[in-house]
Formats: sequence, C-alpha cells, structure tokens
Amino acid sequence: MSERKAGTISVELSIPVQADLVVLARLAAATLAGRAGFGIEDIEDLRLAVEELCLSLVTGREDGRLHLSYECEGDAIEVACWYEDDHMAASARRAAADDLSLKILDALVDEHGRRLRDGRAGAWLRKRRSDRAV
Amino acid sequence: MDQTFEIGDEEVDGIPVVSPAGEIDVATAPPLRDRLAALGASGKPSVVVNLLGVTFLDSTALGVLVGALKRCREAGGDLPLVIDEPRILRVFEITGLTGVFSIFGSVGAALESVRHP
Repeated sequence: MSERKAGTISVELSIPVQADLVVLARLAAATLAGRAGFGIEDIEDLRLAVEELCLSLVTGREDGRLHLSYECEGDAIEVACWYEDDHMAASARRAAADDLSLKILDALVDEHGRRLRDGRAGAWLRKRRSDRAV
Repeated sequence: MDQTFEIGDEEVDGIPVVSPAGEIDVATAPPLRDRLAALGASGKPSVVVNLLGVTFLDSTALGVLVGALKRCREAGGDLPLVIDEPRILRVFEITGLTGVFSIFGSVGAALESVRHP
C-alpha cells in the first residue's frame, strides 16, 4: 500500500518471516530510492542496510510477520520495521543486532536505531541522498 | 521467491575452488555454508572462495565465510577470497574483515597463495 502527498511517498509492507522473502524488503527500498533520484551506489548501500535492519529483528525466527514502513521525503528515506511478537522482552532481546550488522549500518546510513512500538521490537534507519555519481 | 544463485565447484591441483554466483543473503547462505563444511569434513585444509560472480552479500554471508575460515585455519590451511567488485570489497572493509581474510583479485593469485603460503 502506498500513498503520495506533497512530495512524500509512504509505503507499508508486511511479509512473513521467511528467509527467501526478506529480499522483498530490500527490493522495495531500492525501488523507492530509485524513484527519489538516489544514485546506484546509494541504492546499493540502502539495499544492504535494509537487509541488515531486517536481520537484526528476525534472525533465528521462522514465524510471525515483519512489518516495514518506508517514508521518502525530500532527499531522505526513512525505513522502519517491527517484528510481530506478543512478548516484548523476548523481542527486545532479539533486537540486539550482531556486531557485523551494526558495523554495516553505521557505515551505510546517516542514522539508525531501535525502538519499541506497541510492545513490538523495532528498528529504523534514515539515509539521505548523497552527491555520489549516479 | 526465485533468486538466481548457484555454487560452482572445481578443483585445481587438488585445491577446491568454490564459486558462488548471485546474491548471498539469509536465504542463499546456508547452501554455501554446507558446501564449505563438506569440503572441510573431507579433509581439505584450504579452499579458494571465488566471489567474482557475487552481486550482493550480507552479514549472514560474512558469518558463513568467517566460520569456514576458522575451520580452515584450525586445519592448518586458509580460505583466500577472490574479489574484484568494489561494492563487495567495501562490505569487507567496513566490517574490518579485510584484515582477517586474504583477498586476491584473481583465482590464480589465490591458488598461488595456497601453494606457497
């Protein structure tokens, strides 16, 4: 589902937690970044960053759903994701990303972090379009 | 979801060369892990991993390669990587793994490093 208002594009995605479907999360990010005028290098950075964002929440899980929201406004894209889980403590524990994921996120996006929404573990990132060659 | 991913296999002078091609992510890393583990179990101390055909690689893939490297080094061997794509090399750089793996620009150079460590 997506909506467009005053230069903003919002997209929401809900996918079952299956290894072969995480590709959909990065595909959506790449598509939106392309529409927003991001260059190829930025798009590739965003694809990997979104992958790591998802993995930080669902690694080791094979059930439930992952919810993502993409907000594209001006020269930036913000991606947030939440794992559907009734048990806040368990989700928060799983939200501890591993060292490699954190290093990748630190290097590829402008900001990223963790948040809880309605008792569900969540993570978000924000990336601005750079001046690198398209 | 159909993702194009395959693992090429060959042996050069008794040294296994594993060549994954496509995107290595949480869905496709397990067969690579299994292939590398099988080579370790068959008594091959060193394996060349040719990443020239890889277009995407995430932390799951890095974890698989680090695990295989550890097994190889424990067996007295190595796991040299072949990378020529800057985007792939960058993932190793930002995670600090360029200082952990031996990385070469060609399969020939990687094989040579195994023959003459």
